Amino acid sequence: MQMVLPPRVSERQFQKALDAFAGVVGKQWVLATDEDRGTFMDIYAAGDADQHVPSAAVGPQSVEEVQAIVRIANEYKVPLWPISRGKNLGYGAAAPRMSGTVVLDLGRVNRILDVNERFGYCLIEPGVGFFDLFNYLQENKIKLWMSIPANAWGSVAGNALERGYGYTPYGDNTRNICGLEVVLPTGDLVRTGNGAMANSATWQLFKWGYGPGWDQLFCQSNFGIVTKMGMWLMPEPEATLGLNIQLPNPDDVGWAVDELSPLRLNGVIQQSPSIGNSLRFVASATQRSQWYNGDGALPDDVLADILKKAGYGWWTINLRLYGYDEVNEAHARIIKDAFARHTKQEFQVVKWHRGEPIENSGAGVPSTLALQMINWRGGRGGHLGFSPVLPPTSEHVLKQFHSTKKRYEEIGVDYYGSFTLMERSVTNVNLMVYDRDDAALTAKVRALFKALVADAAKKGYSEYRTHLSYMDDVALTFDFNKHALLRLNEAVKDALDPNGILAPGKQGVWPRALRTERA
Amino acid sequence: MRATMKAPLPGCMAKFALIVAAGACFVAAAMAGSRDDSAQKIVDGKKLFHARCGYCHLAGGTGTIMLGRRLGKDRSLLEERTDLNVEYIKKITRVGINGMPPHNRIELPDSELDLIATYLTRPASARGADTAAAKGGTP
Repeated sequence: MQMVLPPRVSERQFQKALDAFAGVVGKQWVLATDEDRGTFMDIYAAGDADQHVPSAAVGPQSVEEVQAIVRIANEYKVPLWPISRGKNLGYGAAAPRMSGTVVLDLGRVNRILDVNERFGYCLIEPGVGFFDLFNYLQENKIKLWMSIPANAWGSVAGNALERGYGYTPYGDNTRNICGLEVVLPTGDLVRTGNGAMANSATWQLFKWGYGPGWDQLFCQSNFGIVTKMGMWLMPEPEATLGLNIQLPNPDDVGWAVDELSPLRLNGVIQQSPSIGNSLRFVASATQRSQWYNGDGALPDDVLADILKKAGYGWWTINLRLYGYDEVNEAHARIIKDAFARHTKQEFQVVKWHRGEPIENSGAGVPSTLALQMINWRGGRGGHLGFSPVLPPTSEHVLKQFHSTKKRYEEIGVDYYGSFTLMERSVTNVNLMVYDRDDAALTAKVRALFKALVADAAKKGYSEYRTHLSYMDDVALTFDFNKHALLRLNEAVKDALDPNGILAPGKQGVWPRALRTERA
Repeated sequence: MRATMKAPLPGCMAKFALIVAAGACFVAAAMAGSRDDSAQKIVDGKKLFHARCGYCHLAGGTGTIMLGRRLGKDRSLLEERTDLNVEYIKKITRVGINGMPPHNRIELPDSELDLIATYLTRPASARGADTAAAKGGTP
């Protein structure tokens, strides 16, 4: 692998910086061999891993070490790309936006500092994974539930900072953040919210603090390195009631959104149900070659045949109600009545009561099983997700569904989409699954992604999160008043990070000295 | 390796005011008692394998399912394989294979990977014995 130095940095200067890093963390935790660099590449890249090549990685174990590294980075103008555990799969994993950047791996900053069952929160460091916190809660019989994303290999804090989500009533992970500790690009250390008071009794209890609120400024951001995060956790409910249903027709997603949206808004449904095309289940259990060997997108009649044989409808919906039995039953009746106006399909009902095995409860239980779908095309699988946010109406959802599916078919990629219903929006995750070594297919995927960004922007839909390679494209779709938001972000960036050393280009925000690197 | 330490915490209401290095406590315990004998290395390696690789490579995991599809069910559980060698395990862990991503030396240092490889390539005479040792029995 070719060594790529950071812009503005000579080989000698770079080596001096690495030596200084080693002086802080020890030689063992400064990784700069070809093999090491390979482990921090975008492991699921769609043919563009060479656009995001790290020059090295450094692994501190404490906040003080993070501060020392940041100061050294300023001295040598060496850019840093902080990662929590580097499992941002489908969005670039551990790789930096700009080649030559040194990965600052916080995986060893991994303490669970506090769990408060009475008030439902934890205080954690960025290296704490979903499995770690889950195991801790289980082993200590703490009746708090986590919100966990489909693939749970990553960091609890990292996922919340990237605005990931799970499927419990606490599923909007970034909303659960309550208080951060942050190393600023100069090496200074701040605590947000009430943590700004040195002896605060309410850091994890009250989000807003006093004056401007800063928690969200460190989400999807290159303004600081989060070293501690307060996070609210959900008290274990007395009971849950799951409602699972298959809908047979592609256009069923429209009325389903119209029926579910008001129930999500008024609180009958407290979590964010996902309406996903059932190909995701087939792709997790089988490979495409078992069903079809043709080029281009999977034809509708082939898909219909696959779904019939596998026993699925076109869409699968998994809803879950949380709370008390009587309330759950009443809410389930309301949902069933709403669906009965459109379909004869019946819900499969799954009930859980406190004390029964957690696996059937609808609690967040970490798993990596979702990763199986990358095996759909065989070989070295990978995936990429295009995820615009829409108004929660059939008009918008059907228009977006059909235009996206058409684009997939035009370019020749299997359509693989879902619509997750938030209170006032729908997040439309469109996955592209590929064999990383199939250059023709990954070229199609990249073309498809660019087309989808442009299509969505024309309709006024923005992405909620995106892969490294498209951060500039998506940032430029926020174009009110000639990209005033980007000007504001970059003004803040220059004020906080005068040497431009922290995550240049993240979310399209570049420091003054490196704006020529913008795609 | 740190297992516990007191950090500044907000207020006095923390019922579970504790510090845990996630995923590392058992390692600290295992390593602290480590003796330079192969039986103990196998015990340590097993604990590490379950903690670091178990997400995917225990029964029902993604890696086990994928290996089952590719190589057959009888070769899907890494713990039961007898055809693995140390160098192969180390290489695959660092570079990945098919859907399995590579693992870096921060999340999995060489010292830990060595123990995992020792466990997965343990001799036939140690198969089953590691379980007894892990439970406190005589290997």
